[in-house]
Amino acid sequence: MTDTITRDDLFQMIASAADQIREQHALLSELDSASGDGDHGSAMMRSVDRMEKAFAPLGPADIKTCFHQAGWEVLGADGGASSALLGSLFLGMADGSPEGATEFDGPGLAAAFEAGLQAICKQTKARPGDKTLMDALVPAVEALRAAIQAGKDHGQAMQAAATAAKSGAEATANLTARFGRARYLGEKTLGHRDPGAVSIALLFEGFSHGLTRPIGGSTNGRR
Amino acid sequence: MRMKKFINRSEDLVSELLEGLVLSHPETLQLVGHNLIARRNRKARGKVEVVTLGGSGHEPGLSGFVGEGMLDVSVAGGIFAAPGAPSCLEALRWADGGAGVLLVVLNHAGDVLSANITMEMARREGLNVKMVLTHEDISGGPNPEDRRGLVGFLPVYKVAGAAAEEGQSLEQCFAIADRMERNMRTLAVAVRTATHPSTGQMIFELGDDEMEIGMGQHGEAGTGRMKMKSADETAEIMLQMLLDDLKVKPGEELLVLLNGAGATTLMELFILFRRVHQVLEEKGIKLVRGKVGEFITTQEQAGFQLLIARLDPELIRLWDAPSNAPYFTVK
Repeated sequence: MTDTITRDDLFQMIASAADQIREQHALLSELDSASGDGDHGSAMMRSVDRMEKAFAPLGPADIKTCFHQAGWEVLGADGGASSALLGSLFLGMADGSPEGATEFDGPGLAAAFEAGLQAICKQTKARPGDKTLMDALVPAVEALRAAIQAGKDHGQAMQAAATAAKSGAEATANLTARFGRARYLGEKTLGHRDPGAVSIALLFEGFSHGLTRPIGGSTNGRR
Repeated sequence: MRMKKFINRSEDLVSELLEGLVLSHPETLQLVGHNLIARRNRKARGKVEVVTLGGSGHEPGLSGFVGEGMLDVSVAGGIFAAPGAPSCLEALRWADGGAGVLLVVLNHAGDVLSANITMEMARREGLNVKMVLTHEDISGGPNPEDRRGLVGFLPVYKVAGAAAEEGQSLEQCFAIADRMERNMRTLAVAVRTATHPSTGQMIFELGDDEMEIGMGQHGEAGTGRMKMKSADETAEIMLQMLLDDLKVKPGEELLVLLNGAGATTLMELFILFRRVHQVLEEKGIKLVRGKVGEFITTQEQAGFQLLIARLDPELIRLWDAPSNAPYFTVK
């Protein structure tokens, strides 16, 4: 593995993340039935289809444009709050990517994710502890930054991010919802993981797989 | 409860329902762009346009209120899900006729997110847009941010739409919408759940002998689950909560809307309305305008929303102004 993340690496990350969602969409909808209207899985499926399209090999060459296109496409998935927030993440990542660049180094990747997180923070007042996607996203971005600063390569760093996202998502089961429709259920949400946080964990799991795939390998055998 | 609905493919629900809505009112409505329902006869340039956005599955809300004297464009989202910012931005661009656009948004997490992103994009493009947020559901508690937007969109569309039609400025239309918004309160009650048309699942569970006051438009839990009560008792409890919250005094003039959630019969709604009228009369409060019907539904959910709004002479005049919106026609 080299120290740079190419546009193709990003496509593999995104495609692998999309696969994670496609494989687990039924679980996401089931989690959503506990507190929402049970359609989170299908909304996320629409979002990741659009996200993947923006990074497809025939898409724009530079990373900034890809993220921008992905963000705008995901916003247009009409998936309610989840696609609005995921779309904002990508638009923020576009803002945090250098003009015209066709590859990232580790710090560049971390900076893009941090810009994405900032963009979401502007759109929602939800923070870790509120039982939302932030419970997975915030620790993931922090772990990514910490691992890069500790000199880990980007594959290891993304793995650390995925692990942090996963434990953040698991921990939402012990939280009471304070945002979105779920907040009206209050303590009844205890014991159920937040579907948005689980989605983020799946996306990071996919990012990690996509980055560490064997050279020339395919994503889950789909491609 | 097993879902029994006349639908085709789940992914076609929204496009097919919008197509049907427009085909059944071809003289008033047209589809433009991605799920935008617009007036067929466009307003003259130089007048403020009124735009709204919101999820589908609540028919006739929100797109059934597009028409002369009410909305210019409604942006329809997925089933119970907000439309994305790209469609909303497209609606604002399409609507802008030089005098600016008033965007009416109901306070629900997804709708507000899309609206905020849209407003930011609109600013970057130099579009002149003002947004009014409706949040009149008192079950959300004292904090206005926690109050959802329920059937209160209707009087806001009506008075702002009428003001825009008269040629009032964007600032004036906004002030009127805002005054209406601040002077209205809604409370909802649910007695039977509905099925989500895409997933076939019940959107909430409620015991056979229970009702829940404060239930939101999507089955969001409310504040008071209790044994089923009679029409009169239910009307009395809910009306009193609304009057207290709006601090209505004897002699004031009110609009009362009674909105069926989808499966509650007009028979029940009339019985309820009659009791609301009686109680207001006993208290010396004037019910000067009233309307009973289905303005926003949640599939086959049973229950209703009760809205009261304090009116003044200008709001009454605008409420009475003509509208040819298919689901709110005023001659």
